Amino acid sequence: MLKLNKKISVFAAIAIAFATSAVAGEKDVKVKAPKVRAIDAATEYKVEKGVYAGIYKVNTQTSKIKKFGYGKKATPDEIKVNDIDVRYDWQGLPDGKGTPAKGEELYTKNCVMCHGEFGAGGKGYPVLAGGQGSLKNQLIDPSSGDEPPVKTIGSYWPYASTLFWYVKTGMPFPHPMSLTNDDVYSIVAYLLSLNDIQVGGEDLDDDTVLDKKKLMTVVMPNVNGFYPDVNAKNGAQNVKKFLSNGKNYGTPMVRCMKNCKPGKVIRIKHTLDEGIKPPLSEKRDLPKVKAGGAADNKYAKLFEANCKACHGNKAIAPVPGDKEAWAPRIKEGKDTLYKHALKGFQGMPPKGGTNLPDADIKGIVDYMVSKSK
Amino acid sequence: MKQNTNNTTADRRGFLKNVAASVVAAGALVPAGLSAKDDPALMKEPEWGKKLGRPVDANLYGMPSPYEHNVQRRVHELLSSGDMYASVAMCPIQDLDGIITPNGLFFNRAHGGVAIVDPNEYRLIIHGLVEKPLVLTLDQLKRYPSESRIHFIECPANGSTGWRAPQFDTLQFIKGMMSQAEWTGVKLSTLLKDVGVKPTAKWVLAEGSDDSHMGRTIPIEKIMDDAMLVWAQNGEALRPEQGYPVRLLVPGWEGNLNVKWLKRLEFGDKPWHAKEETSKYTMLTPTGKAVQFFWPMEVNSVITSPCPDKPWTDLKKGDIVEIQGLAWSGEGTIKGVDISFDGGKNWTEANLKGLVLPKAWTRFSYIYKWDGKPIILSSRAYDDAGFVQPTITQEVSKMGVEGIYHRNAIVSWEVKANGEVHNVQVRDYKKEKEAIEKMQKGAKDA
Ligand code: HEC
Ligand code: HEC
Repeated sequence: MLKLNKKISVFAAIAIAFATSAVAGEKDVKVKAPKVRAIDAATEYKVEKGVYAGIYKVNTQTSKIKKFGYGKKATPDEIKVNDIDVRYDWQGLPDGKGTPAKGEELYTKNCVMCHGEFGAGGKGYPVLAGGQGSLKNQLIDPSSGDEPPVKTIGSYWPYASTLFWYVKTGMPFPHPMSLTNDDVYSIVAYLLSLNDIQVGGEDLDDDTVLDKKKLMTVVMPNVNGFYPDVNAKNGAQNVKKFLSNGKNYGTPMVRCMKNCKPGKVIRIKHTLDEGIKPPLSEKRDLPKVKAGGAADNKYAKLFEANCKACHGNKAIAPVPGDKEAWAPRIKEGKDTLYKHALKGFQGMPPKGGTNLPDADIKGIVDYMVSKSK
Repeated sequence: MKQNTNNTTADRRGFLKNVAASVVAAGALVPAGLSAKDDPALMKEPEWGKKLGRPVDANLYGMPSPYEHNVQRRVHELLSSGDMYASVAMCPIQDLDGIITPNGLFFNRAHGGVAIVDPNEYRLIIHGLVEKPLVLTLDQLKRYPSESRIHFIECPANGSTGWRAPQFDTLQFIKGMMSQAEWTGVKLSTLLKDVGVKPTAKWVLAEGSDDSHMGRTIPIEKIMDDAMLVWAQNGEALRPEQGYPVRLLVPGWEGNLNVKWLKRLEFGDKPWHAKEETSKYTMLTPTGKAVQFFWPMEVNSVITSPCPDKPWTDLKKGDIVEIQGLAWSGEGTIKGVDISFDGGKNWTEANLKGLVLPKAWTRFSYIYKWDGKPIILSSRAYDDAGFVQPTITQEVSKMGVEGIYHRNAIVSWEVKANGEVHNVQVRDYKKEKEAIEKMQKGAKDA
């Protein structure tokens, strides 16, 4: 029995070593796996004799009820208004059309302050173009001068449907759901052209019209870059199969107990601890009270909620408190500032993209100015 | 920075030296014969014993002691996608006891700020491949028979700053992208009786109502197994940060799949491929291909005491001390935890303690007599699904270092002779590089 066990465990250890280059130790203990696995390869728990997973009691009356009958039937209109997604097979894509040229205009107005010129990033926000051919890069040693992979719409995203869906429902970040379908078509056309993605085998010119039919022909360069295959008929089963075998992702199913060889001790070379806010402290003392907390102020709060997404970042818009940035603006006079805040001014959308009453916008402008004098 | 100045032996000794002076200076009653052995804290009536406390109506929603103000969530610009509306606030797990996270400390990841949803305007809409598309108000939803479950929620990016090398020296930023609560709500298998899911429905899109309109696809098997719609967390309404008034709970799965501020469930025959299941929450490997739809959070563990924030600087050679930590798995129940004192060369079994629940934080404990010599402490958990926490080299040799998500390799602490504790990694870079290069070469160029 003992001998047999040893044989089995050595065999398992070799299998793991082969898959993950782990060095098997002298004494590996196999961990018992369940006979039945759930869809995610997890142990499947059941209700038995009114107890779930052997620990939680459940009210067994519930499972016998056929219907509760709460709520109301959704109307077709309710479904239509709320069904805003676009699936990878294009289910849900609305009608509309646009051009890269119009897209560039919209991008300059709504997106460039965060995502940079030509989607190049540079302000801490996601990069929207480039990176093609970089996906195999692995930057294990930052001092090597190697480049990390750059994952963007063009280099990484498997479907253009996702781009349409996300721009339509998630962007621009400070006020999503504000673009028309035609706007979204234009922005998508522009972002595809920035990434040199072809439509129907042809490059997108500034004035190429992208409509529903054309967009649905777009095949993204990295469409085959993902596994397991979830789009197959029983795709979830492919995930289960993948997850059930730890070898697929470097997870052992044995415990090495003795003389294992995990490697050398690596200490911290460059710590990121300094950037932690608020600074770390395990002290038990009384907090220092800040006088005149800005958060008490109504306009400070409105600013936080409506303007800070842009005005909290120097790279995008003037930040209250940044005297240099505000001095020339304050010189223009309050009325100009009010006007620009209300009606919009270059990268500043009208009312910052909100529908706050004029009085509140003016109140926030006063607050911004008072912080910046 | 991380010195534990409370009651360290050195401190107390220094304090005792000045005892007479300070007590006299403070004008307190000095009992005759106060000796250096007496603890001054015990030799006088404390301030709070000589006056009324706060009236009971002072804090009608209670707050922690002001002395605990340093126990709070923390942020870092590098962990954001540009600003604090698309970022994460980490849970101070170094300061937690037991297995429940107080609601105000629960980690908070948002993709478009924390929405404040008006519960009176809240509606849940369920449609797609169902017999009866349904609209529910919050009160109607809460009419369904409820169940309560204790589960952790963990962001799959937890620990992601450690792929190349150790970079943080605080447990809060090494493993604080997770928390645990008791959740209350209705099992979807119960609620869906009112909807009648068609047999052709294989996938469900769950969508939030916040700025990001967070959408994620979940297979029907999970929806019918243990998924819930929850409205309460540790006995009170969900906090806005956790998705008030209703979030999806998919026990053990990536935090992001537990869609907050939930508005819509659509049943379909295909997966959706949302932004957060293509651009993000996918793991790029050295072959240039990425793993997609990696749902569960894998078996994991970390020693919480000691840790860089809770060192042994107050211990003396020969002291007996409890080593303890958290173990968890989204794929089942923790079966056991091994600990090592030599950086993972040799392992010995620790004890589990307290509640041992499926897909939940489980405490482990080991009583240790420290001889004052430096050690490398590591923990390694295994679960009832048969999975064992990997070494760093085992994981990296398959996944590379660019996958960002699902990093569950063994965590190690270096305990120095002076009791300081630091984050270290035990790994074999050479072996990792060889494995990575082999995979890169083996993959056909696209
Ligand atoms: C205020 C800054 C801001 C503005 C303005 C903005 N974005 Fe974004 N964008 C973000 C942030 C932040 C994210 C990441 C959100 C997250 O974490 O989920 C993002 C993500 C994206 C992504 C996904 C990137 C990826 O690779 O995952 C796309 C595409 C995008 N934005 C397009 C746009 C477009 C188009 C516009 C203009 C219509 C726009 N953005 C305006 C901040 C902004
Ligand atoms: C989408 C990003 C964005 C948002 C949101 C936003 N702003 Fe601005 N704002 C800008 C930019 C960019 C500028 C600089 C415009 C320039 O000078 O080119 C600006 C400038 C301003 C100015 C100075 C105008 C001047 O004449 O110099 C004021 C005042 C202002 N914003 C107020 C607000 C208020 C109030 C809000 C919130 C209700 C707000 N902004 C929200 C982007 C934004």
